[in-house]
Amino acid sequence: MTSGTGLERNRRPGSSALRPLVALVGNPNTGKSTVFNRLTGLRQHIANYPGVTVEKKSGTLRSGGVELDLLDLPGCYSLTAISKDERVVMDVLSGQRGLRRPDLLVFVVDATNLKRNLLLVSQCAELEIPAVIALNQGDAARRNGVHINAPLLLKRLGIPVVETVATRGRGLDALKHAITAALESPTLLPRIVWPDCITRACAMIGAGLSGQGRGDVRQAEALRALFDSNGIFASEVADKTSLKKLIDSAHNEIRSTGLNPGSAEAVLHYRHIESLLDGVVEASGPIARTHEGIDGLLLHRVWGTVIFLGVMYIVFQSLYSWAAPLMDLIDSASGAVQDMIRPWLAGMPVLESLICDGIISGVGGVLIFLPQILILFFFIALLEDTGYMARAAFLVDKLFSWCGLNGRSFVPLLSSYACAIPGVMAARTLADPKARLTTILMAPFMSCSARLPVYILLIGTFIEPLYGPIAAGCTLFAMHFVGLAMALPLAWVLNKFFLKIKPQPFILEMPSYRIPTLRNIFQRMWERGREFVLRAGTVILAFSVIIWALLYFPRDPAVEVATTQAFLNQMATGQPLEEVQAALGNPDSALSAALSNRIDAAYIGQSFLGRFGKAVQPVFEPAGFDWKITVGVLSSFPAREVIIATMGIIYNLGSNVDEGSEDLRSVLQNEKWQSGPRAGQPVYTLPVVLGIMVFFALCMQCGATVAVIARELNWRWAAFSFFGMTALAWLSAVLIHQIGSRL
Amino acid sequence: MSDTLESLPVGGEAEISEIRTDCDRAGRMSSLGFIPGRRVRITRVAPLGDPISVRIDGQEISLRRAEARIIGIRNPKP
Repeated sequence: MTSGTGLERNRRPGSSALRPLVALVGNPNTGKSTVFNRLTGLRQHIANYPGVTVEKKSGTLRSGGVELDLLDLPGCYSLTAISKDERVVMDVLSGQRGLRRPDLLVFVVDATNLKRNLLLVSQCAELEIPAVIALNQGDAARRNGVHINAPLLLKRLGIPVVETVATRGRGLDALKHAITAALESPTLLPRIVWPDCITRACAMIGAGLSGQGRGDVRQAEALRALFDSNGIFASEVADKTSLKKLIDSAHNEIRSTGLNPGSAEAVLHYRHIESLLDGVVEASGPIARTHEGIDGLLLHRVWGTVIFLGVMYIVFQSLYSWAAPLMDLIDSASGAVQDMIRPWLAGMPVLESLICDGIISGVGGVLIFLPQILILFFFIALLEDTGYMARAAFLVDKLFSWCGLNGRSFVPLLSSYACAIPGVMAARTLADPKARLTTILMAPFMSCSARLPVYILLIGTFIEPLYGPIAAGCTLFAMHFVGLAMALPLAWVLNKFFLKIKPQPFILEMPSYRIPTLRNIFQRMWERGREFVLRAGTVILAFSVIIWALLYFPRDPAVEVATTQAFLNQMATGQPLEEVQAALGNPDSALSAALSNRIDAAYIGQSFLGRFGKAVQPVFEPAGFDWKITVGVLSSFPAREVIIATMGIIYNLGSNVDEGSEDLRSVLQNEKWQSGPRAGQPVYTLPVVLGIMVFFALCMQCGATVAVIARELNWRWAAFSFFGMTALAWLSAVLIHQIGSRL
Repeated sequence: MSDTLESLPVGGEAEISEIRTDCDRAGRMSSLGFIPGRRVRITRVAPLGDPISVRIDGQEISLRRAEARIIGIRNPKP
């Protein structure tokens, strides 16, 4: 009665750590997340498992006055821990790495594919944790002509079996009851009877390991070591060579009976399952698969490709254009809040600037990504829930497989053309950690919409007037492929020589087509949006305050005095000093605006970042950048789109310029070197202009992306990505300038 | 060497005879149902020639040719 006393203790109110822990386990695409969402509602918490970037979703389940902790484990097909997701499942189920072992497992089982779903169940039986089965999607199974005799299944398995249709909320109350009842009087699954060769092999491993002072080795652990030579159990044994020897001889034991040690586990479990299911599953006539006809169209060589391109076009258009009005709204709302607050802080310029230019614009800079994130995850949820995502990956896998990515990389990379932030987050749809890592590192190379203003400004100012609109159009088009053309070979190099992660076979189940529910889709959008704001958003905000400080301080008042004096002296040469002073007395006059722009430019030149820009200008000298371009480039590291406003300030035009500004264009065209070997020559030659554009195409000038990569992977990869891309951008700009100016 | 799943044409059907490796991939393939004795049919090939999609035990699964090569077959029916 140990579990009984445990329950008594667990029921003490208010002590959440002692509440019973129930874990949801199941294959991918079984509706497990829907069951989880339905059971917990919005009482959910998303975090990561310790040390890995696998999402840990937990929530509270209330049933009959009892509160339980419900854990949604990542979907997996078997306990063979190859991927991180599967390792986490094994860690939790065996209570390793300080994780709490669940008191009860709820297997969410897809009735349309019962046999394969029971493999995981049969493997978990070895762990001897009480269990309940939620037999989901029985409606779809019936439509396919499959009838499942649930009472007989219950009898065979000896644990509660509850029929559910999670998407419609059916059977969930019964499931809740079954969960609480099972915690009261737990029942275990029947265990497979292993053939002698496996029992002998397990005994060999058990004896060998306890000989190494590992204490008693349970059968379940020995089995994992036997069938899972790269799994967690093996990774925790100190003496790898003797473990390998041990496992090799155990494998030979299995081989001697004619079984393949790699597939023996599944083969034996499937035999066990087939005997359990005898008479349980009845197919009435030939199994009618609704998806065969749809697949014939959606995976057709021609029509499938056309439909794929159409679907992706809609996804991209909605990210690129439909998000724009919402983003403008956030932008102007942030401006309005600033204008509202400014008068209250008028006497305190530092505080005014910190709150308005630092914090409020920083918050705006976080929220501005939300529309694209929400729209993208709306489509991702839609594509995954309908079953189309796997088909899309099938269609385009070949485009990416050569460089270590796979078909599932397409959506993250495509959406990165609008913005890398949702793209990096979307890489979660890749189960293979190596492909996911590579996809995340390649996403910032895609030409996001924040790069467009730079291209438009420079192409409109230099390419179009000199070479005509066709050349301008071609340049713009080419700029969108520079990043991609660089990224895919880089991914290949990275995978071939640097990433020491084992590649995984790209094996995809084509799930049945389903009608998605809005409830599920909105829940996904809400989860992602919330996570971005809470986790990445705080880092992005911190970045923007730091950059604000670097551009604001030291703010020596002498700069303003000296600039004003110089301005007065310059103006007074053409007209009486009194007139100039009178004009400056009116804050709305053109002269006042010109002076204020001069002062802003002087302050930016004197700021820490401005000084740094001047100091590092020699680094950018080989690319032909003067100090103004250098400061512009440096100040756009937090967010590349600010380059236009910074250029406006540096060239005395104020920050209210845009990429179409005629003033800015003519200033750039007439900008000449003030001193040095090229004194008097124009700064913006064709190689410099192309160099700047390629620099922007390849450089990671986006603090938000760095923060999101750090969040999705870790800070080391974020730093690698940042420094690697910056170095590559610099090198490319230098090469273009050096080669271009010698032609 | 006998045939592998990769050599089967679209629409062709055969029985799985063996998994020709005992590494991780064998575990992964077998847990999805690629085990000796079951019948498998190639339903289609992706527009770019790889991966292929197969029907096995009532489920539709897509795999790359590299993985199809580790699955030995017998008694093919084109």
